[in-house]
Amino acid sequence: MESYSRRGQTHRRKMAVSPLIVPPTSALQNGRAVSSPLKNAASNAASAQASSNGTPVATQVVPNAAAAAQSTSLDLAEQLNEEEKRKYAKGKKLGEGTYANVYLGFLRSDPNQLVAIKKIKINKEFTEGMAPDAVREIKHLQELSHPNIITLHSVFSSKDQNLNLVLEYLPRGDLEMLIRDTENIRYGAADIKAWMGMLTRAIWFCHENFVLHRDIKPNNLLIAADGEVKLADFGLARSFSDPYRPMTSNVITRWYRPPELLFGARHYSGAVDIWSVGLVLAELVIRTPYIAGNSEFNQVELICQAVGTPTEDNWPGVTTLPNYTNAKEVIPLRGRDHYMSLFGTLGVEGVDLLMKTLSLDPKKRITARDMLKHDWWHKDPRPTRKQDLPNKSGGQAKLTEDLKRRPGVVDDDRGSKVARKLDFGAAK
Amino acid sequence: MATEDVRYRQSSQYRLWSFSPSHLQTLREKTTSLAATNISNRLRASSPPVDPLPDFLTPADEAMLLNFYIVDLLRAAQFLELPSEIQATAAIFFRRFYVTHSLMTYPPRALTMTCIFFACKAEGYFYRIQKFADKFPGITSEEVLAAEYVLCQGLRFAFDVRHPYRSLEGAMMELRRLGDFDEKRLVRAHGRARDILKFSPLLTDAYFHYTPSQIMFGALAMADEGLLQRLLRDAFAGQSESAKNQVLEIVQNCRAMLEKEPPERRTTYWDASASKETMKPLNKKLKKCRDPDRVDLVALQKARREQALQKVKAKTATKEDGDVFGTSNGAKIDDERGAKRRRVAEGGDMFGPPM
Repeated sequence: MESYSRRGQTHRRKMAVSPLIVPPTSALQNGRAVSSPLKNAASNAASAQASSNGTPVATQVVPNAAAAAQSTSLDLAEQLNEEEKRKYAKGKKLGEGTYANVYLGFLRSDPNQLVAIKKIKINKEFTEGMAPDAVREIKHLQELSHPNIITLHSVFSSKDQNLNLVLEYLPRGDLEMLIRDTENIRYGAADIKAWMGMLTRAIWFCHENFVLHRDIKPNNLLIAADGEVKLADFGLARSFSDPYRPMTSNVITRWYRPPELLFGARHYSGAVDIWSVGLVLAELVIRTPYIAGNSEFNQVELICQAVGTPTEDNWPGVTTLPNYTNAKEVIPLRGRDHYMSLFGTLGVEGVDLLMKTLSLDPKKRITARDMLKHDWWHKDPRPTRKQDLPNKSGGQAKLTEDLKRRPGVVDDDRGSKVARKLDFGAAK
Repeated sequence: MATEDVRYRQSSQYRLWSFSPSHLQTLREKTTSLAATNISNRLRASSPPVDPLPDFLTPADEAMLLNFYIVDLLRAAQFLELPSEIQATAAIFFRRFYVTHSLMTYPPRALTMTCIFFACKAEGYFYRIQKFADKFPGITSEEVLAAEYVLCQGLRFAFDVRHPYRSLEGAMMELRRLGDFDEKRLVRAHGRARDILKFSPLLTDAYFHYTPSQIMFGALAMADEGLLQRLLRDAFAGQSESAKNQVLEIVQNCRAMLEKEPPERRTTYWDASASKETMKPLNKKLKKCRDPDRVDLVALQKARREQALQKVKAKTATKEDGDVFGTSNGAKIDDERGAKRRRVAEGGDMFGPPM
């Protein structure tokens, strides 16, 4: 790391030309002339001589926070931060949200390398310091490096103490855009297989690294310039909990939330993400959300209709979950024929995989690892090569929408259906 | 990402927070001397200039004080009854922060509180700031939050710390599976190793030099050498003796490091008068040489926010596109803006060619 020494030199050069002390201008230091820890040293100085510029002799060093705030003599951490910051040029603003602004940027050393710079705003209403969703997103993206997970290139702070997340630039929108645009976008089983393959690898990687994503849905699946799908928005993610530590059940956007969370389970596993993955698969086929409840209660009802009613028979222990309610009528588990009639384009194996992701009992639900081993991937049609996947213009605007959103929240008409807040108090 | 080793090398703990001993030493020396230079300049420039300058802390002083404050931090974290991982995360945050900051620059007492609070946040164990501050008389929520941003920057925005606790549980399960040892021996070793892990690696540089499993093996070796040997024999079955010895050597080095701060030292830090006698003069020395402008972190934070607000005002007044660059200050910005304006005027795409 000889770069540290270079940094040291830059620093010294800078110090030589920078004013060391900025004259106090603000009222901040009023009344702050507390007894100085340097009293002795200062009085020694007083007996010596006045300073070279003829300022009158005082008896103590007056603390000056404003001067420190403006100081250009950087400590090592600040130098490292400056170095990160200088690697990127921030360009035009792509969008402005309540949570963050998004800018286009590029690498100074190679202007062809575009990045998206997400500048997280200081939330004045949030009096608890740095926002937990920003902390979660940074924490997990720093650790996860995978072709199907959005890359966090760097994080730096600007002088005004805003966080800047330098993210991979993904100009082609998200999967939701493609699903919804039934007018212009046509895709088939091979395309679905390709997208699902990338999503499954992403979630496998998260789970392999002991991270739960907890907000999988089509508009968190962004599309890179080369067609690669990237899982984004880790604002609700967390590491696997120890068995004795409960977690909050109020996560995952409602339409993609599994029954165990709707029943208030406080101990759960990667199976929660798998349910969401299954619903993304279903949605890719029918091009509309498969189980779209308008309340948590309605969501459970719709799950009963779509999949079957959870009972002690098909899910031992379900009745002990906190929010479990007895259904009026028990709808038997849907059989293969039912799924074939709706999702037949996936073929027998595809339907089999879908059914395994939508197992009511999370213990019987397929794992990400076993999903990757499933036969479906090897059957015809082969997944489309990523460069041949359908795409849509106008993706840049969508990327901006996706990035500036507060994690775990959609800010369009679907907002009301989302796990907006985590219940931290209850999580203790 | 096949093996666990490959995965570990992707972690921020490895990428940003692992150093060779000599590198770590260089960093610390640089941090200390940089702080001394900056504070000297500050004191000389005050009116009247401070003369003679105080004695500054040496890197060795800083190391001793650092541990003193970590023990303090652990005590406060225990008082809050936080899980051991969160206690350890807070301690490691503190250790990492002071690799690139001097104790003379940022007051350690305040940082212990900020580290505990932020470790809770980073571990998803959310504590209301007011509830947190109320637990400690004499500390306000403002003070706890004042250094949060500086802390995050000092951590290089890496909030994930890998601990050896889970791997110890794994090793114990493995030993039970092997079935060569009686339960009493295993329970004793388990308890002892856990006690070591909650203290020794946090008071030494183990996290900077060793992986979590190496640290776990080091602690297990301290607790019961025979158990380590048995596990290694099993893990390296069918492999060369030299491969095994290579690992063993690393583990023994780690163990030697942990042994410098065994859990028994806890009480030495807490109440032995000997400790007070070494720490008292050091704390006194620190009081004399610390940065006068950063003693009050709340005021510092206010000033920083104030400054940011002024910058925003100036920005909205000028409505300059180039302001979004905002990376440097003073005359340099004008140069950059000028250059950019020229580029735009010439019709060049400032973001380079299309993709």
